[in-house]
Amino acid sequence: MKNLRWIVPALLLAVATPGCILVSGQFLIDFSLDNFAASTQTLVTSQDVDLTTESDYQDHKSELKGLSDVAVLGKITNGGVTDIGVEVWMTAGPTTYTTPSQVTSGGTKLWGPFNLAAGATKQVGWDESAKLFSSAGKALLINEIKGDGQFTIYAIANATTYQFNVDNGVLALVIDFGK
Amino acid sequence: MKRAFAFALLALAMGAGAAQAAGPGIGIGPYGGYNIALIQQDTGNGAVYGVRAPINLIPLITVEPFYATSNLGDVTEKFGGLSYTRTGYDMKAFGTSAILGSVMGGGLKFYPYAGIGSYKMTRTGSSDIKETGYKFGLGIGVPAGPKMSLQLRGGLDMIKTGDTSRKFANATIGINYTLMSGK
Repeated sequence: MKNLRWIVPALLLAVATPGCILVSGQFLIDFSLDNFAASTQTLVTSQDVDLTTESDYQDHKSELKGLSDVAVLGKITNGGVTDIGVEVWMTAGPTTYTTPSQVTSGGTKLWGPFNLAAGATKQVGWDESAKLFSSAGKALLINEIKGDGQFTIYAIANATTYQFNVDNGVLALVIDFGK
Repeated sequence: MKRAFAFALLALAMGAGAAQAAGPGIGIGPYGGYNIALIQQDTGNGAVYGVRAPINLIPLITVEPFYATSNLGDVTEKFGGLSYTRTGYDMKAFGTSAILGSVMGGGLKFYPYAGIGSYKMTRTGSSDIKETGYKFGLGIGVPAGPKMSLQLRGGLDMIKTGDTSRKFANATIGINYTLMSGK
């Protein structure tokens, strides 16, 4: 009967031992994007993301295990005359694509379409945004987060002609970490 | 699904085993309390409710199938000067705990417990988390009548998600009604 007294501590030990999952958690990291305008009248809009400039990312980089949640946030205005679906594409390394066709042929669709009527302005909701990530894009993003943390993102729309602005843009990442 | 079925079988097997034992003590009781999300910046805290059915097999051990549900709170953050809200997870769990001692009978009781269960966490825009979880903590049983006792517990639930986990500290209060005293 005395041996039964060790059941609870033994179960605690069994739970804590594999990978020390007790010392783990989910951290929110946000990467601010510059305000920008995107239009088929100009070169395609891109931004180089370098997560190593974020202190939270740097502090936990060696302990990264995965990506728990992700969202593209901001306020988007459709300045064109047609309805559009805004999309974000990414490339693993630094690239300098200049046209939407180069982006869609050489990049991976990360997010979208975020549908917006002509002339409308809408703040992207966090829940809504989380639903718009493609599985391929999310996989690539996880790869980059676990890698050098540097990648390029492009904003385009799924219309022949478009013109939209993005203000207060943010890439919000919830990262799994564990010791 | 297979894992959930396995846990259901385990709970039933334990219940059946207890029923076959000579004079098992059996109780049932609802409980409620509060879950605090630990080191999770994408979901909030929330109320937890459930039901437990302690089955006293032998004097030193009580097995306790449980069901729990928790609506975790939303998280609101400001990014770029704008406010955003992420809906918290809904969590449901069922499984079995093992208690050192008995929660039934008279007298003030202090007891440790540990358990294993099937946990499911869902929310819009996130893949469902369906994983094995573990729970452990300490409880106090306070007599509240011939067949009734008040159960106060503080513990930790930990859901294993690959190489990491989601953890919740919780404090609950419940009652236990003794259906069969085992005497």
